[in-house]
Order: sequence, then structure tokens, then C-alpha cells
Amino acid sequence: MISNVFKVVFLKEVTENLRDKRTIMSSLVMSAVFGPLFMLGLIHMMTNISKGKAEEQLELPVINMEGAQNLEKHLLSQGVKILTLGEKSPEQSILDKDHDVILEIDESYADSFTQGQPAKVKLYFDGSAKGSTNISVRKARSIINGYSSSIGAIRLQLRGVSPSIMKAVSIENHDQASVQSKGAQFMNFLPYFLIIILFSGSMYLAIDTTAGEKERKSLEPLFLNPVSRKEILAGKLAATITFGVITLILSIIVFKLTIPFYPMKAMGISLELGFSKLITMVLVLMPLAVVAGAIQTIIASFSKSFKEAQTYVGLLILIPMVPSMVLMFLSIKEKLWMMAIPILNQNLIINQIIRGEEPGLAAILVTVFGTLFFGLILASIAVRLYNKESMLFAD
Amino acid sequence: MITVQNISKSFGEVQAVKDVSLVAEDGQITALLGANGAGKTTSMRMIYALITPETGVVTVDGINSTENPIAARGRMGVLPDARGIYKRLTARENMAYFGRLQGMSEADIKTRSEELIARLGMEKFADRQTDGFSQGQRVKVAIARAIIHDPQNILLDEPTNGLDVMSTRAIRAFLRDEKARGKCILFSSHVMQEVSAVCDVITVVDAGIIRATGTEQELLAMTDENNLEDAFVNLVTQGEVK
Repeated sequence: MISNVFKVVFLKEVTENLRDKRTIMSSLVMSAVFGPLFMLGLIHMMTNISKGKAEEQLELPVINMEGAQNLEKHLLSQGVKILTLGEKSPEQSILDKDHDVILEIDESYADSFTQGQPAKVKLYFDGSAKGSTNISVRKARSIINGYSSSIGAIRLQLRGVSPSIMKAVSIENHDQASVQSKGAQFMNFLPYFLIIILFSGSMYLAIDTTAGEKERKSLEPLFLNPVSRKEILAGKLAATITFGVITLILSIIVFKLTIPFYPMKAMGISLELGFSKLITMVLVLMPLAVVAGAIQTIIASFSKSFKEAQTYVGLLILIPMVPSMVLMFLSIKEKLWMMAIPILNQNLIINQIIRGEEPGLAAILVTVFGTLFFGLILASIAVRLYNKESMLFAD
Repeated sequence: MITVQNISKSFGEVQAVKDVSLVAEDGQITALLGANGAGKTTSMRMIYALITPETGVVTVDGINSTENPIAARGRMGVLPDARGIYKRLTARENMAYFGRLQGMSEADIKTRSEELIARLGMEKFADRQTDGFSQGQRVKVAIARAIIHDPQNILLDEPTNGLDVMSTRAIRAFLRDEKARGKCILFSSHVMQEVSAVCDVITVVDAGIIRATGTEQELLAMTDENNLEDAFVNLVTQGEVK
């Protein structure tokens, strides 16, 4: 039976916080609405940068182009825009990020070339530079390599040798990644995103109902009512968890609504998230709201003021980052026992869903009940905290 | 009726309250008079069963508050030192919240709220959210909320602290009213005029120890002084300071 006290406290906390613009802003609007929109923007930015550079004409400053006129023709035929470098040394130009990549034709080029020796060219670039620069470097290198092997093939043919003799082994690529699992690389941080949204959804109430109430000096009068502190705390915790769950559901709805705006073509993926997949996502994340609410309540209870609690509870958001980050860079084979570990299990299952795989029923059940079990242990700690006298006063 | 026998409490090294005993009768206003830091708030917190005394017994209408704190709290209405009210709820909602936690029916809450709003003069702000209320308005809401269930015993920790004359008078009049209805009222204060104006029995506490108990006249006779303030100083300094 749900006790009357539990219900009264729960309803009061929900009513009071729904009237608070700060709660609405921080949990519902900021997390649930802006969260998914922010993610959409991020993905657009990432795909635009890589797509833009790949399709753009390669601008290649060349030093001593007149030393290699054949190569010049080849470059032009590949649509490269050849530039001349000004006063600056190629090293400095790369350091100053004037150009992504610079080609220098060596003095010995012409002689080596006519003698049939490897003719030297130098490629200047910054190997530690990010993203789009690498695309230009790769492009320049492959155009020059292409030229090199076509000239090589002609030379062999002139000597009456088939160029195919140079290819002892030929690789035929059979990429087993489905179209959807390629996109998954982009979407790898969706679980982390959803978990952060969930945590920030309940954060405000966890603090407001404990440290906040202590700071506003209304906790003592509240505890003077003839009811157990445990029941009061249970009502408060339930309100906290409810806000986490509402934020979660709202953010998944917003995410679903933004899916048509994802640059699927540019990403080379099709992101199919049907109703049943969304429900599975909500289902595996919901028990995590209990964990989040309880752990936030525990931390906030030990804080003496709203601000102090905000600092500690804010830092807590970094913890779910660990499994998400690890999974972003490591490929892990899912095992059933992993599904009992909160946060890791949500990451694994949501990643599976994004990759277009069907998570097994056993995995889902272990995730839901494993997380719920952990959450209930934390919750039972949280509701008992205030039985200690030292927890009652802010001073 | 509240009886307190030899309660003590220490926080770490500090002995905050030592062997405090007092009796607050029904139909009387009993004062716990002491300077700041004398142990009033700690004593009150033990009496209203928020914290547990290390020694001694508190009974409220015969109920041992250590053994049965929840039942004891049901017999009391307390305005503690911390009187935070919920600023996003209206005055009436603040009262109703505590009424529900006291297990009252919605109908009873409504009737009793109306009565308290009228008696404490809260008509003008009863349906406003309490954010931005004046000190006096906040204390009125806090008192009304504390005694929404019409308890037999009313405990107040420095009730008129920081209030203006009008609010102070309104609260004094209200307490006299409750006394006339046979309620047991116990309040702590460091304000002499206040205690002198409303209290029947005065218990002087200093450094966690009871120095004297009696009516104002008895205390004056005891110390051979002619006003309460001098009598108080005499009692807490054992006659060393004149």
C-alpha cells in the first residue's frame, strides 16, 4: 500500500517544482529539448566539415612546378588547383596554417625522372592536425601515387613486361559493416547524451528537496510532523525520480522528431528507430533514473547549501562518461554479465539498437533488473540518511 | 502538559544542555528565558522530539517522546527556530501541506485554515505565494502551519524574534487566547519584556543549566530586584554583577 505521507510529500514536491521556472528551465527545456537539438547540430557540423573537404577542389601550392611538367599536367587533369607559394618557407606556411599541404619538386627531379630513377618530391603537412586537413593530405598523396604507378606501368610496358606482375596479391574489400552500423560511429555518443540528460533532469529536485530545504530552514519544521522521516524522504525521492523520467521521455520524443533532419545521406547511414526500439530505449534507461535520483539525493543530503550540492552533484555527471568514452574507442563483445552493470549496460544496449541489431530479451531483462536492484539499494540508503541527527541542521 | 526531567545533550566536547527539568502546565504560558547560546534551542529540540536527549525523559501528555516520538509530535504544534516556509506555495497551501502530514481530513483542514487565517489576521495574503512575504507575515504562516491540527501543546522558539510591534502584539494576543482555551504553551525567549508581558511561569536557563524557576514575582523576590532584567542578570551571574 502506498502510504498517505508518501503521496502528500510527492504531490507537494511536484507541484512546487512545476511552479519553479528554474526547474522547468534546467530539467525540461535545457536538457530535454536543447539536448537533442544540440546533438543534431553537432552531427551536421561534423558531416559538413568532412563532406565539404572531400568534394572541394584541392588547392595545392607547388614549389618548383616547372621542374616537373608532366606531373603538372596530371595534377591539372585531376582537378587540382595549383598555387605558387609566396615569400614564406613551406615549413612556416604549414605552421601558420596557410595551407593544409604543400608539394615541393626536388632539384634532382628532372634528372632522376629521365634516368628512370625514383624522382623525389617533398610533401609538407602537419600530421597532428585535425579532421579536414588530413583529407587534403590524403588526396594529394593519392594523386601523386596514382601518377607514380601509371608512369611505372608505362615503363614496364615499354620493356615488354605486364604491369600486373607488380601486383603479387590483390585485395578485394568485403566490408561487413551494414549501412546502419557505419552511421553508428557518428551516433556512438547518443547513450552518453541520453544518460546526461537523465541525470540533469533529476539533479535540480534532488538538491532542492534536500540541501535546498535545509538551507531554507524548512526541513526542521517538516520533520516535526508526526510521520517518519523515511516516508518523507521516500516521497521526495519519488518526485526527483519522476522528473528524471519525464525529462528522459521528453528528450527521446524530441530526438525521434529530429531524426528526419539528420544528414543520413552525407553520413551514409539509415537510422531506423521504430516505436518498439524507442520503447526499449526508454525501458532500459528508466531504472537508471532511480540510480541517478538516489545517488544525487545522497550527495545533496551531505551538502550544507544549495551551491555546495550543485558542485558535487554536477561533478557526478562525469561518472557516466567513463563507460561511454571507453565504448566509443574500444570494440567490446557484449556478454550477459555486463548487462548487470548500470550505465555500461545502457550504453551497450543503446549502441546495439543504433547499429540496427536486436538486443536479446535476456540482455534487456538483466539490464532493467540489474539497474533497478542497484537503484533500490541506493534509494534505501538515501531515505535513511536523515535518521542521523547531524544531518538535520545546516549550521 | 509537558514534563521534562533531567535532559542533557552534548555536541562533541561541548555540553550544550545539562540536567534541564521543567513542567509546562495546561492553561499556562511557560517561558524558557536565557541569553543567546544558553541552550534554549537545544532544549527545545529535545522537548519537541527532533533530537534525542542523552539522559532524562520528556513526556508530552503522558507520552514518552523518546520511546514514541511520532505520537508525541502529534500532540504538539511547534514553531522551531528554523521557520522556513515554502515560498512557491501559498500561505494556505503551506498550512494544508502540514495538515495532511498530520493526517487531517481535507474538510477539517479547510475549516481550521479559515479559523486561523481570521484569528491571525492573514486574510490579505492567505492566497498569495509566500515568496516576498514580510518577516511578520512569514511568522504568522509558520505559526498557523504548526498548529493547523489544533494541538494541546504549543511550543515556540523565539516567536517574536525580529518582528515589529504590530506583529508582536498580534502573536501575543493569539497566545493568550490559546491559553484561555486551556492549551499548554511553552516558549523560549531572550527578550525580558516579552516574557514579562505574557508568561505565567519563567524558567531561567544559562550555560545549559536551569538557574531558577518561578513566576515573575517569585524571581524578583528571590533576587531582591525590582525588574525582571536585573533579576535575570543576578541569576545568571550568581549575584556577581549588579
